[in-house]
Amino acid sequence: MDEKRRKFEMQALPHLDAAYNFARWLTRSPVEAEDIVQEAMLRAFRSFDGFRGTDVKPWLLTIVRNCFITSHDRKPDLPVSEADGADPAFTDAAPDPEAVAISADHVRKLNLLVATIPGEFREVLILREMEDLSYRDIARITGTPIGTVMSRLARARAMLKEAWLDRVEGARNAVQ
Amino acid sequence: MLCNEAQRVQAYFDGELESGESVVIEQHLVHCGACAALIRDLQSTRDALREQVSYYAASDRLRGRVMQSIGGESAPQPKRRLLSDRHFWWGIGAGFAPAAIAAALLVTVNTPASTDQMAADLLNAHLRSLVSNHLIDVASSDQHTVKPWFAGHADVSPPAVDFPQSDYRLVGGRVDYVNGHRAAVVVYRHGAHVINVFAWPGDAEAAPQLTTHNGYHIACWRSGDLESCAVSDTAIDELLALTQLLKNSQG
Ligand SMILES: [Zn+2]
Repeated sequence: MDEKRRKFEMQALPHLDAAYNFARWLTRSPVEAEDIVQEAMLRAFRSFDGFRGTDVKPWLLTIVRNCFITSHDRKPDLPVSEADGADPAFTDAAPDPEAVAISADHVRKLNLLVATIPGEFREVLILREMEDLSYRDIARITGTPIGTVMSRLARARAMLKEAWLDRVEGARNAVQ
Repeated sequence: MLCNEAQRVQAYFDGELESGESVVIEQHLVHCGACAALIRDLQSTRDALREQVSYYAASDRLRGRVMQSIGGESAPQPKRRLLSDRHFWWGIGAGFAPAAIAAALLVTVNTPASTDQMAADLLNAHLRSLVSNHLIDVASSDQHTVKPWFAGHADVSPPAVDFPQSDYRLVGGRVDYVNGHRAAVVVYRHGAHVINVFAWPGDAEAAPQLTTHNGYHIACWRSGDLESCAVSDTAIDELLALTQLLKNSQG
Protein backbone atom coordinates (compact mmCIF):
# COMPACT_ATOMS: atom_id res chain seq x y z
CA MET A 1 0.00 0.00 0.00
CA ASP A 2 1.30 3.45 -0.65
CA GLU A 3 2.98 5.17 2.26
CA LYS A 4 0.82 8.29 2.41
CA ARG A 5 -2.34 6.28 2.64
CA ARG A 6 -0.92 3.90 5.23
CA LYS A 7 0.12 6.85 7.40
CA PHE A 8 -3.24 8.52 6.94
CA GLU A 9 -5.10 5.36 7.93
CA MET A 10 -2.98 4.98 11.03
CA GLN A 11 -2.96 8.61 12.16
CA ALA A 12 -6.14 10.27 10.91
CA LEU A 13 -8.71 7.51 10.57
CA PRO A 14 -8.76 6.73 14.32
CA HIS A 15 -10.25 10.23 14.76
CA LEU A 16 -13.19 9.56 12.44
CA ASP A 17 -15.60 9.25 15.37
CA ALA A 18 -14.40 12.57 16.79
CA ALA A 19 -14.80 14.18 13.37
CA TYR A 20 -18.32 12.84 13.03
CA ASN A 21 -19.38 13.70 16.56
CA PHE A 22 -18.12 17.27 16.10
CA ALA A 23 -19.82 17.61 12.70
CA ARG A 24 -23.00 16.08 14.10
CA TRP A 25 -23.13 18.64 16.90
CA LEU A 26 -22.25 21.51 14.57
CA THR A 27 -24.89 20.64 12.00
CA ARG A 28 -27.40 18.86 14.27
CA SER A 29 -28.20 16.74 11.24
CA PRO A 30 -26.89 13.22 10.65
CA VAL A 31 -27.12 13.50 6.86
CA GLU A 32 -25.32 16.82 6.69
CA ALA A 33 -22.72 15.64 9.22
CA GLU A 34 -21.86 12.63 7.07
CA ASP A 35 -21.42 14.78 3.97
CA ILE A 36 -19.20 17.21 5.85
CA VAL A 37 -17.05 14.47 7.34
CA GLN A 38 -16.56 12.77 4.00
CA GLU A 39 -15.54 16.06 2.41
CA ALA A 40 -13.27 16.88 5.36
CA MET A 41 -11.52 13.49 5.30
CA LEU A 42 -10.88 13.84 1.60
CA ARG A 43 -9.48 17.34 2.03
CA ALA A 44 -7.39 16.13 4.95
CA PHE A 45 -6.01 13.29 2.86
CA ARG A 46 -5.12 15.64 0.02
CA SER A 47 -3.26 18.01 2.33
CA PHE A 48 -1.77 15.27 4.51
CA ASP A 49 1.64 15.56 2.84
CA GLY A 50 1.84 19.15 4.03
CA PHE A 51 0.86 18.27 7.60
CA ARG A 52 3.96 18.58 9.78
CA GLY A 53 2.50 18.53 13.26
CA THR A 54 2.14 15.56 15.55
CA ASP A 55 -1.35 16.23 16.82
CA VAL A 56 -3.69 15.05 14.10
CA LYS A 57 -6.98 15.40 15.95
CA PRO A 58 -7.11 19.23 16.28
CA TRP A 59 -5.87 19.55 12.71
CA LEU A 60 -8.62 17.25 11.45
CA LEU A 61 -11.32 18.99 13.51
CA THR A 62 -10.20 22.34 12.07
CA ILE A 63 -10.84 20.97 8.59
CA VAL A 64 -14.23 19.61 9.68
CA ARG A 65 -15.18 23.03 10.99
CA ASN A 66 -14.01 24.75 7.80
CA CYS A 67 -16.10 22.36 5.70
CA PHE A 68 -19.07 23.07 7.94
CA ILE A 69 -18.68 26.83 7.52
CA THR A 70 -18.28 26.51 3.74
CA SER A 71 -21.38 24.36 3.42
CA HIS A 72 -23.38 26.58 5.76
CA ASP A 73 -22.65 29.71 3.75
CA ARG A 74 -24.81 28.14 1.08
CA LYS A 75 -27.60 26.79 3.24
CA PRO A 76 -29.98 28.33 5.75
CA ASP A 77 -29.50 27.23 9.35
CA LEU A 78 -31.59 24.22 10.21
CA PRO A 79 -34.22 24.70 12.86
CA VAL A 80 -33.73 22.56 15.93
CA SER A 81 -36.42 19.95 16.16
CA GLU A 82 -37.38 17.49 18.86
CA ALA A 83 -35.71 14.91 16.64
CA ASP A 84 -32.35 16.31 17.73
CA GLY A 85 -32.96 14.78 21.09
CA ALA A 86 -33.83 11.40 19.65
CA ASP A 87 -30.97 9.05 19.11
CA PRO A 88 -31.89 5.51 18.16
CA ALA A 89 -28.23 4.49 18.35
CA PHE A 90 -28.07 5.32 22.01
CA THR A 91 -28.53 2.39 24.33
CA ASP A 92 -28.47 2.51 28.07
CA ALA A 93 -26.80 -0.21 30.07
CA ALA A 94 -29.41 -0.14 32.82
CA PRO A 95 -31.36 -3.41 32.77
CA ASP A 96 -34.56 -2.11 34.36
CA PRO A 97 -36.89 -1.13 31.47
CA GLU A 98 -38.49 1.65 33.47
CA ALA A 99 -35.10 3.09 34.34
CA VAL A 100 -34.13 2.84 30.68
CA ALA A 101 -37.26 4.72 29.63
CA ILE A 102 -36.68 7.51 32.15
CA SER A 103 -33.02 7.79 31.32
CA ALA A 104 -33.66 7.75 27.56
CA ASP A 105 -36.09 10.61 28.04
CA HIS A 106 -33.52 12.41 30.14
CA VAL A 107 -30.88 11.94 27.45
CA ARG A 108 -33.27 13.19 24.79
CA LYS A 109 -33.93 16.36 26.78
CA LEU A 110 -30.29 16.97 27.52
CA ASN A 111 -29.37 16.44 23.85
CA LEU A 112 -32.02 18.95 22.92
CA LEU A 113 -30.70 21.47 25.42
CA VAL A 114 -27.17 21.16 24.06
CA ALA A 115 -28.48 21.42 20.49
CA THR A 116 -30.24 24.71 21.29
CA ILE A 117 -27.14 26.42 22.69
CA PRO A 118 -25.92 28.92 20.03
CA GLY A 119 -23.24 27.50 17.74
CA GLU A 120 -20.23 29.54 18.89
CA PHE A 121 -20.84 28.39 22.48
CA ARG A 122 -21.89 24.86 21.60
CA GLU A 123 -18.69 24.12 19.68
CA VAL A 124 -16.34 25.02 22.54
CA LEU A 125 -18.45 22.96 24.92
CA ILE A 126 -18.28 19.88 22.67
CA LEU A 127 -14.54 20.25 22.05
CA ARG A 128 -13.74 20.73 25.73
CA GLU A 129 -16.07 18.23 27.38
CA MET A 130 -16.48 15.51 24.77
CA GLU A 131 -13.12 15.66 23.01
CA ASP A 132 -11.13 16.73 26.08
CA LEU A 133 -9.12 19.27 24.09
CA SER A 134 -6.99 22.01 25.66
CA TYR A 135 -7.85 25.70 25.44
CA ARG A 136 -4.97 26.11 23.01
CA ASP A 137 -6.31 23.40 20.67
CA ILE A 138 -9.84 24.79 20.87
CA ALA A 139 -8.51 28.27 20.07
CA ARG A 140 -6.72 26.86 17.03
CA ILE A 141 -9.75 24.93 15.79
CA THR A 142 -12.21 27.78 16.21
CA GLY A 143 -9.78 30.51 15.14
CA THR A 144 -10.40 32.57 18.27
CA PRO A 145 -8.07 33.86 21.03
CA ILE A 146 -7.74 31.74 24.18
CA GLY A 147 -9.48 34.44 26.24
CA THR A 148 -12.53 34.16 23.98
CA VAL A 149 -12.48 30.39 24.30
CA MET A 150 -12.51 30.72 28.08
CA SER A 151 -15.37 33.21 28.20
CA ARG A 152 -17.46 31.25 25.65
CA LEU A 153 -16.86 28.08 27.57
CA ALA A 154 -18.02 29.75 30.79
CA ARG A 155 -21.13 31.09 29.04
CA ALA A 156 -21.89 27.73 27.44
CA ARG A 157 -21.63 25.91 30.75
CA ALA A 158 -23.78 28.49 32.48
CA MET A 159 -26.42 28.28 29.71
CA LEU A 160 -26.57 24.52 29.95
CA LYS A 161 -26.77 24.58 33.72
CA GLU A 162 -29.53 27.21 33.73
CA ALA A 163 -31.57 25.53 31.02
CA TRP A 164 -31.20 22.23 32.78
CA LEU A 165 -32.20 23.65 36.17
CA ASP A 166 -35.22 25.36 34.58
CA ARG A 167 -36.36 22.04 33.20
CA VAL A 168 -35.80 20.17 36.43
CA GLU A 169 -37.47 22.84 38.55
CA GLY A 170 -40.26 23.30 36.02
CA ALA A 171 -40.97 19.60 36.22
CA ARG A 172 -40.84 19.72 40.01
CA ASN A 173 -43.31 22.61 40.12
CA ALA A 174 -45.63 20.82 37.72
CA VAL A 175 -45.70 17.81 40.05
CA GLN A 176 -46.55 19.92 43.11
CA MET B 1 -22.72 36.52 42.63
CA LEU B 2 -19.74 35.39 40.54
CA CYS B 3 -16.40 35.97 42.20
CA ASN B 4 -13.76 37.73 40.10
CA GLU B 5 -11.64 34.58 40.33
CA ALA B 6 -14.32 32.63 38.43
CA GLN B 7 -12.37 32.41 35.20
CA ARG B 8 -9.25 31.15 36.94
CA VAL B 9 -11.37 28.65 38.85
CA GLN B 10 -12.69 27.35 35.53
CA ALA B 11 -9.14 27.13 34.16
CA TYR B 12 -8.14 25.23 37.31
CA PHE B 13 -11.07 22.87 36.79
CA ASP B 14 -9.97 22.30 33.18
CA GLY B 15 -6.41 21.54 34.22
CA GLU B 16 -5.06 24.62 32.46
CA LEU B 17 -3.21 26.24 35.37
CA GLU B 18 0.46 25.93 36.27
CA SER B 19 0.99 24.16 39.59
CA GLY B 20 1.85 27.41 41.42
CA GLU B 21 -1.40 29.03 40.30
CA SER B 22 -3.32 25.87 41.14
CA VAL B 23 -2.19 26.12 44.75
CA VAL B 24 -3.47 29.70 44.92
CA ILE B 25 -6.87 28.65 43.59
CA GLU B 26 -7.07 25.66 45.89
CA GLN B 27 -6.53 27.98 48.85
CA HIS B 28 -9.11 30.39 47.45
CA LEU B 29 -11.68 27.59 47.15
CA VAL B 30 -11.38 26.82 50.84
CA HIS B 31 -12.88 30.14 51.90
CA CYS B 32 -14.88 31.30 48.84
CA GLY B 33 -18.35 29.77 48.85
CA ALA B 34 -19.25 31.13 45.40
CA CYS B 35 -16.24 29.46 43.77
CA ALA B 36 -16.74 26.21 45.66
CA ALA B 37 -20.30 26.18 44.29
CA LEU B 38 -18.97 27.00 40.82
CA ILE B 39 -16.66 23.97 40.93
CA ARG B 40 -19.62 21.76 41.83
CA ASP B 41 -21.66 23.18 38.95
CA LEU B 42 -18.80 22.69 36.51
CA GLN B 43 -18.47 19.09 37.62
CA SER B 44 -22.18 18.32 37.30
CA THR B 45 -22.29 19.95 33.84
CA ARG B 46 -19.28 17.87 32.81
CA ASP B 47 -20.78 14.66 34.20
CA ALA B 48 -24.03 15.31 32.34
CA LEU B 49 -22.21 16.01 29.07
CA ARG B 50 -19.88 13.05 29.30
CA GLU B 51 -22.32 10.50 30.61
CA GLN B 52 -25.75 11.50 29.40
CA VAL B 53 -25.36 13.46 26.19
CA SER B 54 -24.94 11.42 23.02
CA TYR B 55 -21.50 10.92 21.59
CA TYR B 56 -22.24 10.25 17.95
CA ALA B 57 -19.88 7.67 16.46
CA ALA B 58 -19.30 7.36 12.73
CA SER B 59 -21.41 4.64 11.13
CA ASP B 60 -19.79 1.78 9.23
CA ARG B 61 -21.46 3.20 6.14
CA LEU B 62 -19.68 6.54 6.58
CA ARG B 63 -16.40 4.75 7.33
CA GLY B 64 -16.85 2.84 4.09
CA ARG B 65 -17.61 6.00 2.13
CA VAL B 66 -14.54 7.73 3.53
CA MET B 67 -12.26 4.78 2.83
CA GLN B 68 -13.63 4.52 -0.64
CA SER B 69 -13.05 8.18 -1.46
CA ILE B 70 -9.50 8.01 -0.08
CA GLY B 71 -8.91 4.82 -2.00
CA GLY B 72 -10.15 6.56 -5.14
CA GLU B 73 -7.57 9.29 -4.55
CA SER B 74 -4.55 7.11 -3.93
CA ALA B 75 -5.38 4.31 -6.38
CA PRO B 76 -7.09 5.82 -9.41
CA GLN B 77 -7.39 2.44 -11.16
CA PRO B 78 -9.34 0.07 -8.89
CA LYS B 79 -10.39 -3.06 -10.73
CA ARG B 80 -14.07 -2.33 -10.42
CA ARG B 81 -15.14 -4.60 -13.22
CA LEU B 82 -14.06 -7.55 -11.10
CA LEU B 83 -16.37 -6.64 -8.24
CA SER B 84 -18.83 -9.30 -9.19
CA ASP B 85 -16.22 -12.04 -9.22
CA ARG B 86 -15.76 -13.29 -5.69
CA HIS B 87 -12.51 -15.00 -6.53
CA PHE B 88 -11.05 -11.60 -7.12
CA TRP B 89 -11.44 -10.96 -3.40
CA TRP B 90 -9.95 -14.21 -2.32
CA GLY B 91 -6.93 -13.60 -4.50
CA ILE B 92 -6.24 -10.10 -3.29
CA GLY B 93 -3.42 -11.15 -1.01
CA ALA B 94 -0.81 -9.07 0.64
CA GLY B 95 -0.21 -6.16 -1.67
CA PHE B 96 -3.68 -4.70 -1.55
CA ALA B 97 -4.83 -2.12 0.97
CA PRO B 98 -7.27 -3.45 3.54
CA ALA B 99 -9.11 -0.15 3.38
CA ALA B 100 -9.82 -0.64 -0.29
CA ILE B 101 -11.24 -4.06 0.44
CA ALA B 102 -13.27 -2.66 3.30
CA ALA B 103 -14.53 0.23 1.22
CA ALA B 104 -15.60 -1.99 -1.61
CA LEU B 105 -17.11 -4.62 0.63
CA LEU B 106 -19.01 -2.23 2.83
CA VAL B 107 -20.97 -1.15 -0.18
CA THR B 108 -21.63 -4.70 -1.32
CA VAL B 109 -25.27 -5.23 -0.54
CA ASN B 110 -26.11 -8.66 -1.85
CA THR B 111 -24.81 -11.43 0.32
CA PRO B 112 -25.99 -14.93 -0.37
CA ALA B 113 -27.95 -16.68 2.36
CA SER B 114 -25.21 -19.24 2.89
CA THR B 115 -22.81 -16.39 3.59
CA ASP B 116 -25.13 -15.10 6.29
CA GLN B 117 -25.25 -18.58 7.75
CA MET B 118 -21.47 -18.72 7.79
CA ALA B 119 -21.27 -15.29 9.44
CA ALA B 120 -23.74 -16.37 12.11
CA ASP B 121 -21.74 -19.55 12.70
CA LEU B 122 -18.46 -17.67 13.00
CA LEU B 123 -20.00 -15.19 15.39
CA ASN B 124 -21.48 -17.98 17.51
CA ALA B 125 -18.15 -19.77 17.65
CA HIS B 126 -16.48 -16.50 18.66
CA LEU B 127 -19.01 -15.80 21.42
CA ARG B 128 -18.87 -19.40 22.61
CA SER B 129 -15.11 -19.11 23.00
CA LEU B 130 -15.53 -16.02 25.18
CA VAL B 131 -18.09 -17.46 27.57
CA SER B 132 -17.28 -21.14 27.78
CA ASN B 133 -13.72 -21.08 29.13
CA HIS B 134 -12.70 -22.77 25.94
CA LEU B 135 -10.78 -19.97 24.33
CA ILE B 136 -7.55 -21.86 23.91
CA ASP B 137 -6.41 -25.46 23.85
CA VAL B 138 -2.77 -24.58 23.59
CA ALA B 139 -1.70 -21.44 25.44
CA SER B 140 1.40 -19.92 24.05
CA SER B 141 2.77 -16.73 22.66
CA ASP B 142 5.36 -18.78 20.85
CA GLN B 143 4.52 -19.44 17.22
CA HIS B 144 6.86 -22.43 17.26
CA THR B 145 4.56 -24.09 19.78
CA VAL B 146 1.17 -23.21 18.31
CA LYS B 147 1.73 -24.08 14.67
CA PRO B 148 3.06 -27.62 15.27
CA TRP B 149 0.21 -28.24 17.72
CA PHE B 150 -2.27 -27.69 14.89
CA ALA B 151 -0.48 -30.27 12.77
CA GLY B 152 -1.57 -32.95 15.22
CA HIS B 153 -5.06 -31.63 15.99
CA ALA B 154 -6.56 -29.87 12.98
CA ASP B 155 -6.98 -30.31 9.22
CA VAL B 156 -4.93 -27.24 8.45
CA SER B 157 -1.94 -25.61 10.03
CA PRO B 158 -2.38 -21.86 9.64
CA PRO B 159 0.41 -19.43 10.46
CA ALA B 160 0.33 -18.62 14.17
CA VAL B 161 2.58 -15.62 13.97
CA ASP B 162 3.43 -13.34 16.84
CA PHE B 163 3.88 -9.70 15.88
CA PRO B 164 6.00 -8.28 18.69
CA GLN B 165 6.22 -4.86 17.03
CA SER B 166 2.43 -4.52 16.99
CA ASP B 167 -0.43 -4.30 19.48
CA TYR B 168 -1.58 -7.80 18.62
CA ARG B 169 -0.54 -10.44 21.08
CA LEU B 170 -0.60 -14.12 20.17
CA VAL B 171 -2.13 -16.01 23.09
CA GLY B 172 -2.67 -19.50 21.71
CA GLY B 173 -4.69 -21.81 19.52
CA ARG B 174 -7.61 -24.20 19.65
CA VAL B 175 -9.78 -26.38 17.44
CA ASP B 176 -13.37 -25.30 16.86
CA TYR B 177 -16.27 -26.10 14.55
CA VAL B 178 -17.71 -23.69 12.00
CA ASN B 179 -20.54 -24.65 9.71
CA GLY B 180 -19.76 -28.32 10.21
CA HIS B 181 -16.08 -27.93 9.40
CA ARG B 182 -13.24 -28.41 11.78
CA ALA B 183 -11.32 -25.17 11.98
CA ALA B 184 -7.94 -24.30 13.43
CA VAL B 185 -8.24 -21.13 15.48
CA VAL B 186 -5.37 -18.79 16.26
CA VAL B 187 -6.21 -16.48 19.14
CA TYR B 188 -4.88 -12.94 19.54
CA ARG B 189 -5.53 -10.25 22.07
CA HIS B 190 -5.73 -6.62 21.07
CA GLY B 191 -6.07 -4.52 24.21
CA ALA B 192 -9.15 -5.81 25.98
CA HIS B 193 -10.45 -7.51 22.84
CA VAL B 194 -10.10 -11.12 21.75
CA ILE B 195 -9.56 -11.80 18.07
CA ASN B 196 -10.28 -15.33 16.87
CA VAL B 197 -8.76 -16.19 13.50
CA PHE B 198 -10.48 -19.28 12.11
CA ALA B 199 -8.89 -21.28 9.29
CA TRP B 200 -10.06 -24.30 7.34
CA PRO B 201 -9.34 -25.88 3.96
CA GLY B 202 -10.57 -23.77 1.06
CA ASP B 203 -13.24 -24.58 -1.50
CA ALA B 204 -15.78 -25.10 1.23
CA GLU B 205 -18.84 -22.97 1.86
CA ALA B 206 -19.00 -19.32 0.91
CA ALA B 207 -17.55 -17.14 3.65
CA PRO B 208 -18.51 -13.49 4.13
CA GLN B 209 -15.80 -11.08 3.02
CA LEU B 210 -16.44 -8.40 5.57
CA THR B 211 -19.51 -8.04 7.66
CA THR B 212 -20.63 -6.64 10.99
CA HIS B 213 -23.19 -8.22 13.30
CA ASN B 214 -24.12 -6.62 16.62
CA GLY B 215 -20.81 -4.81 16.83
CA TYR B 216 -18.70 -7.84 15.93
CA HIS B 217 -16.69 -7.63 12.73
CA ILE B 218 -15.90 -10.62 10.56
CA ALA B 219 -13.17 -10.28 7.93
CA CYS B 220 -12.35 -13.22 5.65
CA TRP B 221 -9.73 -13.85 3.04
CA ARG B 222 -8.21 -16.69 1.17
CA SER B 223 -4.58 -17.52 0.78
CA GLY B 224 -3.61 -20.53 -1.31
CA ASP B 225 -5.94 -23.31 -0.23
CA LEU B 226 -6.51 -21.81 3.19
CA GLU B 227 -9.73 -20.01 4.06
CA SER B 228 -9.35 -17.57 6.98
CA CYS B 229 -11.82 -15.47 8.94
CA ALA B 230 -10.94 -13.07 11.76
CA VAL B 231 -13.71 -12.23 14.24
CA SER B 232 -13.67 -9.56 16.95
CA ASP B 233 -15.46 -6.62 18.49
CA THR B 234 -12.33 -4.50 18.23
CA ALA B 235 -12.49 -1.53 15.83
CA ILE B 236 -12.84 -2.54 12.21
CA ASP B 237 -9.58 -0.78 11.23
CA GLU B 238 -7.74 -2.67 13.94
CA LEU B 239 -9.14 -5.97 12.78
CA LEU B 240 -8.21 -5.24 9.17
CA ALA B 241 -4.71 -4.24 10.24
CA LEU B 242 -4.24 -7.69 11.79
CA THR B 243 -5.61 -9.47 8.72
CA GLN B 244 -3.13 -7.45 6.67
CA LEU B 245 -0.24 -8.58 8.90
CA LEU B 246 -1.41 -12.17 8.55
CA LYS B 247 -1.75 -11.89 4.77
CA ASN B 248 1.74 -10.44 4.58
CA SER B 249 3.07 -13.35 6.60
CA GLN B 250 1.36 -15.78 4.25
CA GLY B 251 2.43 -13.85 1.20
ZN1 LIG C 1 -14.13 33.06 44.58
